Amino acid sequence: MSLKIQVIVAVVIVLALCWIANMVRKEALSIRFALSWLTVGAVVLVLDLFPGIMDYLVHLLGIELPVNMMFFFGFCFTLFLLFTLTVKVSKQEEHIKRLTQEMALLEKQVKKEK
Amino acid sequence: MKKLVIIPAYNEQGGIEKTVRDILEHAPDFDYVIVNDCSTDRTLEICKKNGYCVLDLPVNLGIGGSVQTGYMYAFRCGYDVAVQFDGDGQHNARYLNDMADKLENERLDMVIGSRYIKKEGFQSSGIRRIGIRYFTGMIRLVTGKKITDPTSGMRMAGRDVIEMYAKNYPKDYPEPESVVAALKAGKKVGEIPVRMNAREEGVSSISPRKSVYYMIKVSLAILIAAVRR
Repeated sequence: MSLKIQVIVAVVIVLALCWIANMVRKEALSIRFALSWLTVGAVVLVLDLFPGIMDYLVHLLGIELPVNMMFFFGFCFTLFLLFTLTVKVSKQEEHIKRLTQEMALLEKQVKKEK
Repeated sequence: MKKLVIIPAYNEQGGIEKTVRDILEHAPDFDYVIVNDCSTDRTLEICKKNGYCVLDLPVNLGIGGSVQTGYMYAFRCGYDVAVQFDGDGQHNARYLNDMADKLENERLDMVIGSRYIKKEGFQSSGIRRIGIRYFTGMIRLVTGKKITDPTSGMRMAGRDVIEMYAKNYPKDYPEPESVVAALKAGKKVGEIPVRMNAREEGVSSISPRKSVYYMIKVSLAILIAAVRR
């Protein structure tokens, strides 16, 4: 990997991390969700700064090209994240349904008491 | 015995008045509640103008969430019997007393109004009947009980099932799945023959394009309901 690419990747990741941190600061993103993204950024940054780790891992796992390993793990991570998000969406859907129902029932009760 | 008719209504401006009149005339012992599922037409306006008893959902929940709201209302207001009844003129209120009698006399937990015992009245299209028979077979396979009309939206529940459905009710296409849930919970389910009418107002929620999804989703839901404890 050329030094040039290494620097570009590092800069992009640092910018992304700053962006995420700023979102958390402005409370547009909760820390709970930011954590997985910050972790992934940190891991890629470390791999970028110390290419030796990549070479070692690739050799250890018997993968021919470092880029294949990146794609594979990136894909697994994305799938995992997507799945946990659908689980969260399901839970929220149930919560919203309950709140909507309670609201309709409460409204009815309030009108009756008036 | 306090008895309640639950009328889920999504854009039923054309049929809702007739439905309420039918209930007041043919089933005067029953209270009723309309669950307005965030209709975009004049349904709510008509209900308010006539002073109907209505629960107004602020967000559209679909048929499952609407009906469940009705069961929650029935449970909290201490009703002994609650029956689902479509707001589009498909169901006839004159069967409600027969259903309540059957529920009480045979000590059942649930009574379904079935189109396919006497095979009278509107029978749905041929392809849909095949689908319904498939669900009948599937329910028989997983519960050992024969339900001739598992997709019927005309279903009466006793106190136990009201409580069960108030806590847990499927979101979309809920009928076959919820029957399996009741049977699996050891509830006794019976059926009486009813005539239904062809839809006068509104359109079916199951378009041809959605029917494949419907079959797969409901099949899976039945299997899951069967292994749920």
